[in-house]
Amino acid sequence: MLTLKDVTVRLGGVRILRNVDLKIEKSSTVALIGANGAGKTTTLRTIMGLTEMTGQIEFDGAVLSKVAPSRRPGLGIGYAAEDRRLFSGFTVEENIKMPGQVAGYSDADLAAKMERVYEILPELKEMAKRPAGAVSGGQGKMVALGRALVIGSKLIMLDEPFQGLAPALAHKYADALRKLRNRDREVTLIITESNPDLLRKFAERTLVIERGEIREARSHITTG
Amino acid sequence: MNVQLFALAIVDGVSYAALVFLVAVGLTLIFGVLRVLNVAHGSFYAIGAYTTASVGGAIFAAGFSPWLAFPLMIVAAVLVGTLIGGPIEKFLLSRIYHLEDVLQILVTFAVFLILEDFQRLVWGVQPLFEATALNQLGTVTVFGITYTAYQLIFLPVVAVLVLVGLRLGLRRTLTGRLITAVTEDREAAITIGIDAEKVYLITFIVGASLAALGGALASATTSVVPGMGADMIVLSFAVVATAGLGQIEGAAITALMIGLGRSFAVYVWPEMQVLVPYLIMFGVLLVRPQGLFGGIEARKI
Repeated sequence: MLTLKDVTVRLGGVRILRNVDLKIEKSSTVALIGANGAGKTTTLRTIMGLTEMTGQIEFDGAVLSKVAPSRRPGLGIGYAAEDRRLFSGFTVEENIKMPGQVAGYSDADLAAKMERVYEILPELKEMAKRPAGAVSGGQGKMVALGRALVIGSKLIMLDEPFQGLAPALAHKYADALRKLRNRDREVTLIITESNPDLLRKFAERTLVIERGEIREARSHITTG
Repeated sequence: MNVQLFALAIVDGVSYAALVFLVAVGLTLIFGVLRVLNVAHGSFYAIGAYTTASVGGAIFAAGFSPWLAFPLMIVAAVLVGTLIGGPIEKFLLSRIYHLEDVLQILVTFAVFLILEDFQRLVWGVQPLFEATALNQLGTVTVFGITYTAYQLIFLPVVAVLVLVGLRLGLRRTLTGRLITAVTEDREAAITIGIDAEKVYLITFIVGASLAALGGALASATTSVVPGMGADMIVLSFAVVATAGLGQIEGAAITALMIGLGRSFAVYVWPEMQVLVPYLIMFGVLLVRPQGLFGGIEARKI
């Protein structure tokens, strides 16, 4: 469903990703584990088209690496960056709706997507009308997840979602991911994390990234 | 200074401020979104004026209704913004966004020089004067002074409509929201599917059209002459810098300040007329280097 073939990314002369070959099956839940600077964020950014790369990426039968970055979300890819990257001048709800509006969803379609978001993340409903610039860092991560859910019908990529979350919020966030998984068996999930234990129970498959190279985690049963 | 002179200075200042605002707000919009200081911006003002004056002269001589002067201004502004501004952004500026500011300014300065010669090539160096729109609206008398309704009422009303329209357009239309989003965080905007390149192009065309509209409106009140674009770009730089880069409402208030300052100088101390806008800018930037309304905060427009 998502295939990386010989993907190499250089930033300022340094190879951040080295000849990565990777195949991720549809509806799997994949944890991408690695230390800071190992290349987790670059992997996700490369799939979103935000880096200069060589090699090829295929997604859902299309050559993704040839698709303009701004057209990739429209293929059903939701992405939440590590730093939440909300638009501070808009309300929480406006932020969440925006990818759907850009993609040209009908009103009914967008309403249905929003209902799904609020079902998975009920706490967002309470802050829907607040300016996105006024929510806390942890709440902002929830909003960013909501925004990724609206457009991510096939693939959702979350970059270190638990980083910097207070325990209570981390618990809620994990709940939301479980709800998403139970409610929607189709969607593929890729989650990066630096702590290998955090996603152990949740992920079906764990990949380890080290110095720009990705391999399967050894001590882990693969079901995906 | 008696009441009549005072009133005259105010009316002069306000009508002039309206024109300056239209050019300056286009400049600040483009800077706010694209982060490029476009030196060629004044050329859109001049070409808007030339287009309106020459086409207007031709169609009125052919016997068409003088009321066509008003729709002509809008058509000329949009055409200049789209046909000249559009290709400049798409084929030139889009290639230099990653370069240093100083290089970007050099490139837009080169565009300015090319467009100046382009104007001389097309319209020559003889002044054009085409005041049909001004004459069409007649005059009004207030506080014992008689003034053209065009400058007293029409120009300020257009400026206010543009200000309100821009604010509402940015806030309430989808395109406006996308512009706001790209301004704050271009990369995050791309990851939710916004075509940032298209947003840049649309913003540039809107900004260039506003400058051209300023020129179209000005053409009814003054002779259209070579060099008018250079005068205007310098003045609108002063307005934008005084207000704070990217500040739309700030540009309106500052344009009013500078317009009034300039017109009072004409009556009180004429030798200072040219200098007053820069004295205001100098004074403000000395105290607030980020401009009157500029803040150190998330990028926005």
